[in-house]
Amino acid sequence: MDTNIHQTEMLYSNSPADFDYVRVNVPCQSACPAYTNIPAYIRSLYEGKYDNSYELNRIVNLMPGVLGRICSRPCEEKCRHGEPELGKPVNICHIKRAADDHKNAFEPPRGGLFGSLDERICIVGAGPAGLAAAHDLATLGAKVTILEALAEPGGMLMYGIPEFRLPRQVLGEEIGNILKLGVELKTGVRVGKDVAVEDLMSGYDAVLLAAGCYTARMLEIPGENLVGVYPGLDFVMQVADGNPPRVGDSVVVLGAGFTAFDCARIALRLGAKEVSICIRGTEQDLRVTHEEIFETKREGISIQGLLLSQRLVGSDKVEGVEFVRTQPGELLPNGRRRIEPIAGSEFIQAADTVIVAIGQGADPIPSPGEKDKRGVVKGDPETFRTSLPGLYVAGDFMTGPSTVIESIAAGRKAAEKIAESLSGKKFREWTVRIQDARITDRQRSWDMIPRQEMPTIDPSHRLHPFNIEVELGLPKELAHEEAKRCYLCYLHYEIDISRCIYCRLCIDSAPRDCIKLAEDVVLSESGAISKIVETGSWQNVSAIMIDNERCIRCGECVRVCPVDCISVSKVELTERAVGGI
Amino acid sequence: MDTRHFVIIGNGPAGNEAAATLREHAPYVRITVIGQEHVIYYRPNLLPDFIAGKLSEDDLYVKPLEFYKEKDIKLRLGQKVVDVNIADREIVLEHKEVIRFDGLILATGGKPRIPEHLQVFEHLMLPLKTLPDAKAWIQKLRQIDSVLIVGGDLTSLCFTKALLTMGKKVFFMIQGGAFWPVRFDADIHDSVSRTLTEKGVEVIDSENIKGITKISENEIVVNTETRKLNVGAFGAFFGLMPDVKFLARSGLTIERGIIVDERLRTRFEGVYAAGDCAQVYHPGIRDYWVSIGYRNARNLGKAAALNLLGEQVTADVAAPGIFQFDEITVNTSWWTEF
Repeated sequence: MDTNIHQTEMLYSNSPADFDYVRVNVPCQSACPAYTNIPAYIRSLYEGKYDNSYELNRIVNLMPGVLGRICSRPCEEKCRHGEPELGKPVNICHIKRAADDHKNAFEPPRGGLFGSLDERICIVGAGPAGLAAAHDLATLGAKVTILEALAEPGGMLMYGIPEFRLPRQVLGEEIGNILKLGVELKTGVRVGKDVAVEDLMSGYDAVLLAAGCYTARMLEIPGENLVGVYPGLDFVMQVADGNPPRVGDSVVVLGAGFTAFDCARIALRLGAKEVSICIRGTEQDLRVTHEEIFETKREGISIQGLLLSQRLVGSDKVEGVEFVRTQPGELLPNGRRRIEPIAGSEFIQAADTVIVAIGQGADPIPSPGEKDKRGVVKGDPETFRTSLPGLYVAGDFMTGPSTVIESIAAGRKAAEKIAESLSGKKFREWTVRIQDARITDRQRSWDMIPRQEMPTIDPSHRLHPFNIEVELGLPKELAHEEAKRCYLCYLHYEIDISRCIYCRLCIDSAPRDCIKLAEDVVLSESGAISKIVETGSWQNVSAIMIDNERCIRCGECVRVCPVDCISVSKVELTERAVGGI
Repeated sequence: MDTRHFVIIGNGPAGNEAAATLREHAPYVRITVIGQEHVIYYRPNLLPDFIAGKLSEDDLYVKPLEFYKEKDIKLRLGQKVVDVNIADREIVLEHKEVIRFDGLILATGGKPRIPEHLQVFEHLMLPLKTLPDAKAWIQKLRQIDSVLIVGGDLTSLCFTKALLTMGKKVFFMIQGGAFWPVRFDADIHDSVSRTLTEKGVEVIDSENIKGITKISENEIVVNTETRKLNVGAFGAFFGLMPDVKFLARSGLTIERGIIVDERLRTRFEGVYAAGDCAQVYHPGIRDYWVSIGYRNARNLGKAAALNLLGEQVTADVAAPGIFQFDEITVNTSWWTEF
């Protein structure tokens, strides 16, 4: 397939204006904590280059097969296709999974290509952050050992996400690809109990604490000690460990995140007849994807909004939950909504099992150094350093619970800072790569293609066997169709006003108000265009401009331009080695 | 001269009552009613009788176009609102036109609800909410002898009566979830089931539908856990969902409907909701309530309009009461209207 991109010139820029440009104009990549080059991997998949598409993911997010299933998808929230009047966002996450599903067997690079870092580094915790840090440090040449308290690596991926959402074989393969870089893994080693942090610090050149969050939070309301009440995290971990708890016929789950939804769906698979998820706010306030809500409801689980639990009732065993109805108020600075109880609206909902899935926190590890208010070793969010030289902290252990992609990004960033500290030099940097490009074969009609949704197993076949994966993956044809929808926002369109004849054909053909008659432009502090001052009077027009913030890269303006004065370049945020490693 | 522009989204009973009330109390304001359907205001609760041939299409219409001209109410039909930007006081139509407003009443009504587990079969189901739906049924019923009604909202009972008068064989699969916002219980189920059976309907106990297959244009096979049913059409009657999806980005608080206080105020000044799309807390039942029904919708539309003009009217949200419908006792005002 002809990509129609000819590379005549390529340059790398560290100008703040160019970073600012990418931040505004490639919203999906900017929203990804790991800065995954989303337009590039979608374009590769469209071209049938599944291996390349997978690798474009893996080089920054390390686990495309895992993330293609369970990522929280901040990119899709920012996708231009989801803006008003443009339809639904591109199914970015599932295209990632398609790259994994349809690629050839992947083998990670072996030593020899690796950097010159020769230090011994110990990482505590084999969750997403620890594995990501191990990966990057290993590729820089470090001798990395991971100590994991549990029996298997993966952290919350292994113990916090049920198999019907994340098959263990997929997880195992991608963890294996990290370990193949020469990373040593020791499981069943609980740091602080089996070995002291001080001993690790004397035995290694650096120690990174990335032990995650494994202490379930409770509501601290009466009745939480009754038989039949489970902390959500303990519930999913027992299932992952092969010792599922007993559930009754009627299960109430309290919580609004992925763990709450996982608990509800697991309870159904353990034989519950009626399962409901009760939340303080509304479905709008849920922190899970629309697909998760839809599939959960399809399985027969109800979501009951505007309920605040007051106490759990029962004599020796839980028999119900007393709720008060709530009234949503204004949005708070933290992005959540103020929720107020309605006096006099109390009622009791019967339940014989109650699962409290409202979050989790870090379990402090005994160690020297300054602690935060949780009792966890305090770390600098930029350098990941603690108050002690050689001791670092990262991931959920440092920040509290976050998403998998945030943990991976944090682990990679911590690795970069550790390597810089140990060697005194910089190994990698983020930069903006700009190269000439030409219009692609993307057609305007592709904008009307509906979002290709993930095929799933019929709900009646999901419960047996217990762990069968619900999502089937996009077949090549559907993935290809979905890839067509991407606007390829990394393409920058620009009108050469010295050649423009002001015929307005581009304006007439534009699908939205993306081409503007400009009287002036306002630059931001970084030097990027922050505002186009429009005019309706031809006398005042100083330029006809493409507003890349509104541009959906459909290419229609390029096709209709009679004097070929609209150019296209490709602008990508990318990571590159500094001065060779 | 009052030059404010009041926009009403929704051309049903709440929207039209709101428009008429606004004009009555504010003779000079601009009033625009936006309706998604291409037809003027009609009573959807009469659609079963229209299908049965007891009423003509003209009988359904409530007000002629002349009414809107006479009252200087701009009626925009066949136009879909895709976004509401409350900060800028603008609404965006599907054809990209932007309309500014000074006051807004959301009266978008409801749309047929299809439970999540049946949405994969949605293309094989016929609803009955709009006039085009009714016309589709009229076409279909000319070619088939039997219908499976699944759900149990009140439209389905009225429609069943209409089908029986047309000599059609009716199967009825009662599904509890369809009775929302009514609390469905064994008493309601038994009452509905007994009445339907007495009228000659074959009632099928609530079962999970495993699959729906189209054999031909006029034959559908429905597989449940215990039987296979060949029917001419599958009618989906699972009640209504407030039609509020387009407001997802508006900043309005939405649970099932748009959450408003007892004066039908949303979180934003000058923005109200009325009719089937408004959800208000009801102290009498200690729960949120979506007041469904023609009369209720009109009352709410009137209250919203008065409050938009500065009154302090508390909406008469119908308290749940006991009503009789064809010997079926139900616990909501919703049922009395059909």
